[in-house]
Amino acid sequence: MTTIETRKEERHVTVLSDRCAGCQECVIRCPVNALSMDHGSWTVLADDDLCVGCRQCERTCPFSAIQVGGPMAVTDRLDPPLAHPVTLRGDISETREGYSSWSDVLKEASRCLECPDPTCVRGCPAHNDIPGFIGALRQQDLSGAHEILARTSVLPDVCSRVCNQSAQCEGACTWSLAGTEPVAIGRLERFIADQMMTPAPTVDPSGAARDLSVAIVGAGPAAVGAAWDLVEAGAAVTVFEKDDTVGGLCLWGMPEFTLPSSVAMRAWEQLETAGVEIRRNHAVDADEIEVLLREHDAVIAAHGAGVSVRLPVPGMDLEGVVDATLFLKGAKEALEPMGSAASFLHSLGLTDTRAQRVLVLGAGNTAMDVARMARRLGLDATCVDWLDERFALARPDELAEARHEGVDVLFQRTVVKVEGSGRVHEATLAHTTQASATHTPKVVPTASDTLRVDLVVMAMGYRVDASFASVLPGLPVRKVYSAMASRQWVASGVLANPASSYAHHSPVGHLALAREVGLNAAAMPVAPRLWVVGDALTGPSTVVEAMAQGRRAARAIMDAQPNSPSRSTQSRELQPRRILVCFESEGGSTADAAQRIGAQLREYGARVDVMALEKVGPMDLAHADAIVVGTWVEGLVVAKVHPAKATRQWLDALPWLGGRPVGVFCTYGVDPRGALAEMRKVLEAKGAQVGVERALGRRDLKNASSNFAQQFAESMMQTVLR
Amino acid sequence: MEMKKADSPDERDFHLVDPIAVAIRTRRPDEEGLHDRFAPTDPSPALDVARHPRVARVLRNRKLQFMLILPNQIIFWLVIGIGLLGTVIPGLNFATAITWYLWFCLVFVMMVVVGRAWCAMCPFGGFGEWVQRHSFWNRTRSSIGLGLKMPESVAQYGFLSSVGAFLLLTWIEEYFNIAGPGNPASTSFMVLGIVGSALLFFLVFERRTFCRYVCPLTALIGSVGSMGSVAGFRTRDRDVCLSCQTKDCMRGDADGYGCPWYTWPGSSDSNATCGLCTECYKACPSDNIGLFVQKPLTSVVSPTRRRADVAWSVALLFGLVIYQQVNALGAFVRIDNWLNTHTHFPQYPNPIDYIAGIFGVALLMAAIAAGFEKVFASASPAPVNSPSFLTRTSSFRSYFLPLMYGIIPVVGADYFARQLPKLLLHLPRVVVSVGHLFGSGSTSSSLYNSSLIASNKGIIAVQVAVMVLGTLAAMWTSWKIAGRELVPLNGSRRAVQWSAAGLALVSGVVVAVLYIMMNAAN
Repeated sequence: MTTIETRKEERHVTVLSDRCAGCQECVIRCPVNALSMDHGSWTVLADDDLCVGCRQCERTCPFSAIQVGGPMAVTDRLDPPLAHPVTLRGDISETREGYSSWSDVLKEASRCLECPDPTCVRGCPAHNDIPGFIGALRQQDLSGAHEILARTSVLPDVCSRVCNQSAQCEGACTWSLAGTEPVAIGRLERFIADQMMTPAPTVDPSGAARDLSVAIVGAGPAAVGAAWDLVEAGAAVTVFEKDDTVGGLCLWGMPEFTLPSSVAMRAWEQLETAGVEIRRNHAVDADEIEVLLREHDAVIAAHGAGVSVRLPVPGMDLEGVVDATLFLKGAKEALEPMGSAASFLHSLGLTDTRAQRVLVLGAGNTAMDVARMARRLGLDATCVDWLDERFALARPDELAEARHEGVDVLFQRTVVKVEGSGRVHEATLAHTTQASATHTPKVVPTASDTLRVDLVVMAMGYRVDASFASVLPGLPVRKVYSAMASRQWVASGVLANPASSYAHHSPVGHLALAREVGLNAAAMPVAPRLWVVGDALTGPSTVVEAMAQGRRAARAIMDAQPNSPSRSTQSRELQPRRILVCFESEGGSTADAAQRIGAQLREYGARVDVMALEKVGPMDLAHADAIVVGTWVEGLVVAKVHPAKATRQWLDALPWLGGRPVGVFCTYGVDPRGALAEMRKVLEAKGAQVGVERALGRRDLKNASSNFAQQFAESMMQTVLR
Repeated sequence: MEMKKADSPDERDFHLVDPIAVAIRTRRPDEEGLHDRFAPTDPSPALDVARHPRVARVLRNRKLQFMLILPNQIIFWLVIGIGLLGTVIPGLNFATAITWYLWFCLVFVMMVVVGRAWCAMCPFGGFGEWVQRHSFWNRTRSSIGLGLKMPESVAQYGFLSSVGAFLLLTWIEEYFNIAGPGNPASTSFMVLGIVGSALLFFLVFERRTFCRYVCPLTALIGSVGSMGSVAGFRTRDRDVCLSCQTKDCMRGDADGYGCPWYTWPGSSDSNATCGLCTECYKACPSDNIGLFVQKPLTSVVSPTRRRADVAWSVALLFGLVIYQQVNALGAFVRIDNWLNTHTHFPQYPNPIDYIAGIFGVALLMAAIAAGFEKVFASASPAPVNSPSFLTRTSSFRSYFLPLMYGIIPVVGADYFARQLPKLLLHLPRVVVSVGHLFGSGSTSSSLYNSSLIASNKGIIAVQVAVMVLGTLAAMWTSWKIAGRELVPLNGSRRAVQWSAAGLALVSGVVVAVLYIMMNAAN
């Protein structure tokens, strides 16, 4: 438990007695047992002496009936110091270090409240059991901590180094949400990874994927997540990597001083030892995806988002303008012990002996990496970004480190022109203003500067390769949580105070909720037996997110047990089909029809879930081999008849169904008119194959002997098995 | 409907996809004394009208409350307009006729029979809520306004802000003779003032803060309405509510808003703060909320938690209605005139005698409760010096609160009886005033001059009959409450029960005698 300061007398919990309904949402979540029930009034009693001021009760009370005043009883955060090279040039040693002693670890770990409903877990994209592994650390149980981490993460060594914890787990730490320094979760995870190598995958030849052959395109963190779970479950996994080394962005896109190559390669070495076949220098294009689908039971596209975003301003075609990928790959090789900085600089046309300036377009994490690499190559580096610094995309600590290393970071500037005679020589920077994080910056026409530059590196990010659009439609998925927030998330309080200064005013809860969109999308195949994960699915994101998506897809494959027709000669027990029957019912007739159809589908051996549309979650959709949608209809027969409004809204919000067989039915009073056709149109636009349609009138519904359910189920099974 | 269970055979085959659930280690809710605490007030499952599919379908319809509010909304905007623009003859103007001859009396009937039926259809709160939600019936995700919470310094007094508002409004009504009825425009301004205040509160505060704390009628309906036979929306299975992970009835979900009245069906033990808005019923993910009816007076007798704000509201509201009876007597008129002369106040009612009269009665009731405390020493709870008005306990409160709950039927009957003369004498004028809008009604029509009961004696008889009923009910509730909560350690249960019932009897008799006296004075 946390170390408590002595200013208890200033801390006071007020229970608003008229508003407290005794629901105990605060009582069951209070980390320190400071809240209990007054059985007479059935309201909450607070013990000021036990309260540590974390304000979790304030965030979780549905009626805002509890208030906490006074200071928080937590010690100052203990961060290991940064290692700044004495001589920057050529130094690629890690700048961020882990804890060096157990005493420091235990001191920091003691700040964790072990919240009963830990918001940090929701903030972590992989949903690591953070209180669990910190609890194990307190017991000095490293293998226990690894075991807890291994449930959700196979890259603790990588994630602890490169994650932006302030917008994820640490931003969502209850202390951060309350307005003080969060527990150093990333550093504690790093300590676990530093002290003991992450255990290799344990292959279970009789696991859930024992008969599956899975191809994975790409060898980045998303591929690691997918391959790890699949190979552990006994699948034959083949990875196709276009480069001669695996690791993807973690290897070539991250500097050695941030993520050492040995750490980036650790997982791949373990996977290869465990039996994952890696085909290097094998680029897979859109056409070859079809080939892979024939040869394997499932294909996971994890090829990333590798196309650099280019700034459309005059002069970008001049010599001396390069993209970040080229610079980072070359600089990393140049800074290795056997590399040559001089020859790399020469290849970039930087032959002058005077101090030369690199202009880096962008001030995100990639831009910081480019600039810091440039500093280690002996160059001056200036980053420009049109965002306001308050809304900067880079990790705050990364930004601070870059500045400490002499990188000039200019916010509210944008390049409007690059000039030079043949080679870039000067850049014109316009000033910008940005009102809020959601507003696009505006250029101030009257204010501009010029900057002498010798090299321009475009580091404004990456986008998904459009050449895959024909086989991977509908991508990238936008990580926008448009539905009403999950009620469990609301109940946890992670969304209640989203703008803590310790999370750099990031709305951490809402960011985390939006990440769930990507995770859920990863479980949904975009076409039969084809899953997409990582940056290829959602556009550029983080290592931990990509890994978590990869694992989510692997689990979806294990559940779906897909079977390639060309491999069907193998003796494999076919899994029963899972069919989701969902309905929107007003008076109960549609629900009754859905139940009858569901019962008939079970007769055919299918595993059937019947539920109201409003209850259907993303994983219900992901798990379903086929879907049946039923609705009542509304409207005027003389004008137009539609599916019920709730059905239309539900259909509009559906994700890409990737060729999933779908049956639709509606119940009507007089005439369904075009209601079924309307449903079919929407579903087909979502990638569904609508194989069965049926309108059910009063005669069908009232007559117990009607065989509509049997007919529907028979047609549906034919569609599913086709 | 078949619902997926976490432990269903199909589910077991799926891999772990939500690791968050593994990391959640919330404590079990405290259930100690749960049964004893709520058993006396939990209605029988057989009295859940929402079990009937047709009722359930109506309750689940998002347009239900809109449809209840809409007719009243139309009527009260007509009241505003016609009061300002129509005839100045109060009996012929629709605004005054519908408001004072019918509506005010109907509100009392509804509260005595149902509880907060009026709140479910109230156009004042309804208008503010439509604006706040920027929707007539749809569940919107954002709200207009500042969304503040009522400060604890005010909220801790519960209904007492409402009592203050009611006393102020009644004084204004008496001063301008609005309900007499006087000039119809005054009625329009009064309604406009209420609508405007409600709108302001709905834009500044969240949910139905106005209805819960400020509305002039909420204390009256909350206390007198506890005689009603609708228990409100309550839990069907409290264990389900306690283990519910989302509390959608409080927070809201896609189907319904979180309770606008700050009431949790899982712990509701009376109908005092259930606005019958159906939102919790719509939002509950477990179909675990029902709409229960109950025997009359259950919410007076049964609650184990007596609220100080309700008790003081009853005492003050009793003071107000007594004042309104006394002010018709000649002796009072002389006192009021004397005070106005010496305080240079222009006219009746002088604020000094108004306040003194109301608080005098309330303090008299408190003194009687203190007398009970002296006479009947009981095992009262240990005093709690809570900073909150509502949670404080004392030996005095342990008598005052139950005794005031006991006389609620007298107060309710008194308010209802006071509205009767206008209803009985002038109800036909509502029809005439409607006709007048279309050019057919006049003060010379026979209907205008007809009455349900025209004679003074007849009206007094009805009033006294109402008071007899109210007094008998109050004696019964006082008897039951005293038998359960005021039993002395060394004395007789019967003694305290007779004494409490005697207080109710005396209160009722005083009121009835005053009705006889004030009509004689008229």
